[in-house]
Amino acid sequence: MVNLRISDIDCYYGSIKALDNINFSVREGEFVGILGPNGSGKTTALRAISRTLKPRVGTIFLDDQNIYDMENREVAKTVAVVPQESISTFDFTALDIVLMGRNPYIDRFRQESREDLAIAKRVMELTNTWSFAERPVNELSGGEKQRVIIARALTQEPKILLLDEPTSHLDIGNQLEIMDLIKRLCETKKLLIIAVFHDFNLAARYCDSIILLKEGKIVAVGKSEETLTSENVRKVFSVDTIVKKHPVTGFLHVIPVSRPLNQKQKTLSIHLISGCGTGSLLMKILKDEGYFVTAGVLNLLDTDQETAQLLKIPITSEAPFSPITEESHTANLKMISKANAVVITPTQFGDGNLRNLEAAESGLKKGIPTVLIDNGSIEERDFTNGKATKYLGSLKSKGAITVKSNNELLELLDKLERKNNKNSHHRKGTNPVK
Amino acid sequence: MSSNEAESAYFKRFARWKLIVLILILALILTITFAITVGPKQISPIDAYKIVIDKIPFIGDLITSSSSSMEEAVIIDVRLPRILGAALVGIALTVAGVVLQGLFRNPMADPYLIGISAGAGLGASLSMAFGIGLSFFGVLYSIPLMAFIFAIGTVFLVYTLSKTGEEVPMLTLLLVGIAVNLFLMAINSIIRLYSGEAVHAILAWLFGTLVPCNWNYVKIALPFVVVGVALIYVFARDLNIMLLGEEQAHHLGVDTERLKKILLVSATLITAAAVSISGTIGFIGLIIPHIARILVGPDHRILIPSSALTGAIVLILCDTAARTISRPMELPVGIITALLGAPFFIYLVRRKKRSVIR
Repeated sequence: MVNLRISDIDCYYGSIKALDNINFSVREGEFVGILGPNGSGKTTALRAISRTLKPRVGTIFLDDQNIYDMENREVAKTVAVVPQESISTFDFTALDIVLMGRNPYIDRFRQESREDLAIAKRVMELTNTWSFAERPVNELSGGEKQRVIIARALTQEPKILLLDEPTSHLDIGNQLEIMDLIKRLCETKKLLIIAVFHDFNLAARYCDSIILLKEGKIVAVGKSEETLTSENVRKVFSVDTIVKKHPVTGFLHVIPVSRPLNQKQKTLSIHLISGCGTGSLLMKILKDEGYFVTAGVLNLLDTDQETAQLLKIPITSEAPFSPITEESHTANLKMISKANAVVITPTQFGDGNLRNLEAAESGLKKGIPTVLIDNGSIEERDFTNGKATKYLGSLKSKGAITVKSNNELLELLDKLERKNNKNSHHRKGTNPVK
Repeated sequence: MSSNEAESAYFKRFARWKLIVLILILALILTITFAITVGPKQISPIDAYKIVIDKIPFIGDLITSSSSSMEEAVIIDVRLPRILGAALVGIALTVAGVVLQGLFRNPMADPYLIGISAGAGLGASLSMAFGIGLSFFGVLYSIPLMAFIFAIGTVFLVYTLSKTGEEVPMLTLLLVGIAVNLFLMAINSIIRLYSGEAVHAILAWLFGTLVPCNWNYVKIALPFVVVGVALIYVFARDLNIMLLGEEQAHHLGVDTERLKKILLVSATLITAAAVSISGTIGFIGLIIPHIARILVGPDHRILIPSSALTGAIVLILCDTAARTISRPMELPVGIITALLGAPFFIYLVRRKKRSVIR
């Protein structure tokens, strides 16, 4: 049973503190990812564990043995390191490089034995590198080279594998192949793995638990669902993200959201009638432009509803997959009455959400400008035997404006905004809903 | 490739290594035979062998040399010590070059990189110009010992100046070495300005020459070169791993700080020993390691012995050229190594670009 305990360590580069009171432990068969911005101490943590940078305070225990009291060769039999990128000098073959991993086992006055070669062969077959064993490493591609380095680490027959962004220079295919291999080793050989990542999604996909570092301190530690939250990511990286479990892969996905360019709040309040994701992008665009945005009625679990939740847009909602009830219809009408404009996205209409068009019509009657985004496919989106098409036609005849694109819509809203500003100079009023 | 193929190829190379070393030893013997017979007085190889074997205890009693005492004196007192000196210097400079190129992971590294040549040059110049050390070491040993002591002292200075905390970063060592080299060369230039008649001797020494090499010189250099090269060879596998970089070598169980110390001290001692008996012969320590690397590959377990033997062969041949081509005048052997070495090296680099360090 291998147990690695990082016990309250402080690491320094000269007088600069790189790690501050880091404390965690990892057991065999566990895969821990370290994430954090540049300079947060990720690599330093690995260097401390691999005995490259001795902590000034605290130490690291391998099964209750202080690793800084151990012999170099003894540590090399237990801990192997895969660096970010390997310097390749001279023309060593892949096999030469892999056999160097046997160094801690070979006596000074001996050569590699058949047994050493057998071990090298086994791990090279495992890492898919045996086929080019006799080729010089300098001639290998980035992915092949990195697999050779992993093979070298494995010939050390380690119990602990430390990886510093092992795949950051590789294409997506190679990334997944190498990470799958490492994950398999973790599960089958019960290796203890600590890896530094830059890629949230890769970390979330492979790690059992994640440590978030910022400025040398641990900000969060735990399972990826607990640590990779949008709050934590903002705290550590100062970036807004959407964190979601992907429906197909079942893994957490962290998607960065661009920061709004124009954060000046505008006066207009826009109500969106959307659904099925047709309003999601628009919600983000309108928010970024500084408009006050509301939406409804949206069913819970609808993509647009989730987007609204992430963007903190007030909505009128309805139970999942249920038709709009009288109650939510009334609430929606109330929201519309406070809006300066209503925008209807090219969503699908069924009997369940047809009342949204009814709500739009009543808004139009009250003189609230109504805009239809039309992509010319109304027949395909109409699942109400023409009722929705008819509604939309009558909205148009009653003065609803049709635009072809989001850009056209923004131009139109811009005009409305300026008009509204002029009016509010003359008479204070038409305040947006708060 | 079938798996057995790579496996057997791997073990075949140990046999191939032995063969390479054997061939090079034979080549060295042939080279010595050639060099010993060439000169103002031509002596046949058979006679030369007889003279040499006659001098070996016990075995010498078995044969009788019919050569004259003049021939014997030429072989035993003049040519043999000089050839052995050339061999020792060739071995020392080449092996030191291999070590420093490996440690610095820099193809431009040579044995003189960390101040040895400038230090030795300063010591030798002081002795030749002002007779410093003459009374202490005597006429015979004054120049080599002054060179030796100044060489070691300079490396020690460079090493101390490069030390940050408990570590000696290789890049700092390299840069400090260059700076100290230039500084001492400047001082050496000043000495030359005031050295009067000794300036010719100093210049010849700085180019490198084996003219003064006698048995006493061989005896000075021999123990250092034998012990130093043997010690370096013991750490050949570690040196391979050092090529991956210090951090990775550390992860593979190499005690890098200790290894650096052992290798730097050994390389310094053998280089200083070589320089003390021959002056600062250039190019050998830079080029022979590259030639050997092209021929036998990067593994230090074969690179060290094969480059050492190649270095010995090449320097003996260059020295033979130096003492014969412009007879009766002698050229400093360092000029020959540079004149032949530089074009040949460029040819090799252009012919097989990929095998020179990347």
